[in-house]
Amino acid sequence: MITLNWVLIFSAALFSIGLFGVLARRNAVAILMGIELMLNAVNVNLVGFWRFSNPAVITGQAFAVIVFAVAAAEVAVGLALVISIYRRRKTIAADDIDLMKW
Amino acid sequence: MTTELILFFSLALIAIITGLGLLISKNAIYAALYLVLNFFTIAIFYLLLGGAFIAMAQVSVYAGAIMVLFLFVIMILGAEKLGKSNTVAWQRPVAIILSIILLIEAGYVLFWRTAPVQAAQTLPDGFGGPASIGNVLLNNYLLPFEITSVLLLVAMIGAIVLTHKQKTDKEV
Amino acid sequence: MFGSINTSMILAILPEIMLFILAGFVFVFDLVWDDSQRRNLGWISAGGFSLIIMISLMLGTPGSDSGLVWGGMLRHDWLGFAFKMLFLFGATITALFAMDVEDLGKKGEFYLLLIFSTLGMTLMASSSNLIMLYLSIEATSLPLYILAGFFKDDDKSTEAGFKYFLFGAMASAIMLYGFSLLYGFSGTTDLDAIAGVIKAGGMNPVLLVGTLLMILVGFGFKISAVPFHFWAPDVYEGAPTVVAGFLSTASKAAGFTVLIRVLLTSYAPASDTWMMVLAIISTLTMTLGNTLALAQKNIKRLLAYSSIAHAGYILIGVVAISELGITGSIFYIIVYLITNLAAFGIVSVVGRITGSDEISAYDGLSRRSPWLGLAMLVVFLSLAGMPPFGGFIVKVLVLASAVKAKLFWLAFVGILNSIIGLYYYLIVLKHVYLYRSENEQVEIPVTRPYAIGLIVLTIGIILLGVVISPWFNVSTIAAKVLF
Repeated sequence: MITLNWVLIFSAALFSIGLFGVLARRNAVAILMGIELMLNAVNVNLVGFWRFSNPAVITGQAFAVIVFAVAAAEVAVGLALVISIYRRRKTIAADDIDLMKW
Repeated sequence: MTTELILFFSLALIAIITGLGLLISKNAIYAALYLVLNFFTIAIFYLLLGGAFIAMAQVSVYAGAIMVLFLFVIMILGAEKLGKSNTVAWQRPVAIILSIILLIEAGYVLFWRTAPVQAAQTLPDGFGGPASIGNVLLNNYLLPFEITSVLLLVAMIGAIVLTHKQKTDKEV
Repeated sequence: MFGSINTSMILAILPEIMLFILAGFVFVFDLVWDDSQRRNLGWISAGGFSLIIMISLMLGTPGSDSGLVWGGMLRHDWLGFAFKMLFLFGATITALFAMDVEDLGKKGEFYLLLIFSTLGMTLMASSSNLIMLYLSIEATSLPLYILAGFFKDDDKSTEAGFKYFLFGAMASAIMLYGFSLLYGFSGTTDLDAIAGVIKAGGMNPVLLVGTLLMILVGFGFKISAVPFHFWAPDVYEGAPTVVAGFLSTASKAAGFTVLIRVLLTSYAPASDTWMMVLAIISTLTMTLGNTLALAQKNIKRLLAYSSIAHAGYILIGVVAISELGITGSIFYIIVYLITNLAAFGIVSVVGRITGSDEISAYDGLSRRSPWLGLAMLVVFLSLAGMPPFGGFIVKVLVLASAVKAKLFWLAFVGILNSIIGLYYYLIVLKHVYLYRSENEQVEIPVTRPYAIGLIVLTIGIILLGVVISPWFNVSTIAAKVLF
């Protein structure tokens, strides 16, 4: 029997992998993919909580649907920014984009 | 019920391996394809939990729309090669520490959690289906639902503003 | 389920509905007008924003009931309402300042994104549900990412937009993970109901702290508190100056509204836990912001670090967890918004003519344009916390609240930091008043929208510091909602 614990562990693992990708990758597109993975982990959480608490309350699923929409919008804007920076710099490596020092 | 458990663990394994594949792969296109696989696995996982609508949305929105967008951009930019060093030097330790903290927290949740865990109840027919979700979204969550339309409009405007090339005098 | 839509629901989102209509107007006029007329979109937006403020003040003020509307998504109370008006005011001024900026003032898209971002902020101010909260934070951030990268032919601007997006998306993903755990373990997305669960001991303390820290990542990013501050200097430097002004004021104020609301409603039963965390964040934020500001040569970076430091001061009032403290914080946010908008407005005026954001470009400004010099004097003295300007009274308020809450060390750190702050603000004024430059004969023209905006803001700063009671009363009414 699947329990909530396993679902949460699964989602935490996905989230950690995504976070690691965001922090450690150089390629801006790969960083964006890491963010997508993190948002997916959130959705796994939400669907899991919906299933294992009171399934009659569909809040978890509604939340997940909203996260879908936000993720789609975010990716569109993020990739547009990547394209616009590529046009100027001819690179999308995150550490080459350092005209201003951190 | 063991088949369900086996299914769950194999899905989780695939999802984590593809996630790691995304981390390691040097070629952005491979990374994107790993991510597609990952999204599909998670969709099947949603089906396993009984969220049919969410599973469909996962396939069409994530694996469909979002990943196609990713692949398009990678190909347009020709940016699939990542160069010799794959990661930023100082960020790696930070990333490892953060990720480990998260995993420890997850372990804590598993082994020492005090809150009661309810077993999954059996779902009545048609539960979590499009009809019930649509009902909730257009009743309780009407306002957020409408606001997502603003968000998508903003994304559209943004994509056009940021990527539309302006005609300069030379080009005209 | 709330059945049918009634009047109180419409009145609760009156500003949002009108913002939608305004966006429609801008859309249409952007299409109809040609390039020579498009500058007027700024007048339409600014006029529209101020009209919305007036109509909302007449019709949409919250009643005395709990004000939960739209199935518990929004809470129509004074805390939300006061901040909504503040954001709309900030947007008015930003629209005015944008009009004469090259490549920006004649673009309908700019005003549209500004309107949509303001729409997100007004929703942030009144959200009382995790789903609505997340969505409104995203609806605010997404247009701002685009605005920061608006000059796509400028290396620094594209870089600013890109960095802002990466950090923002990461912070919001971590925050969302916290939201999902909070929802899962409390079983509800309603902010008040979560407080009930926490109060009843329904949440494991480790989980409580874990979700709290994750949520603070997202909020800390919005208010640019240490250690989530490092995007701010780069983004402020690279983004169009008017956008940086909007980011550092309205967006930060919106972050504070949700921080105050979530901590003092949902996490109120666990206030001992977050008080220490927030006190440490506040100390670090003030100290780091002020110290790093000392070394800056670029005025936009200096203002960025100064704005980080101010976030620390505002947090002092939150840490005090008292009606006085929150009143002080809200009043501080009002003063800070008006003062910093003026600062970025001046930077925008000067940057247009000199083409530089270096502090040395301000040499002899008082001779080149006495009025601008005067505005600069008022703004920087207010930022430094000198009487009789607004910045003084609010600093006294938050420090007093810390003393009253027996947080003497925090008050002491605050005072020490104000002294450091005074130093670098005065250095800028030294450039403006004492230093000479060779092009003193070149005047700095101030166009009409800039003049209107700067006059309103400068008078505002003085009024906030001299006529205290109305502002103090509004802040008190807003703070009372939480206690």
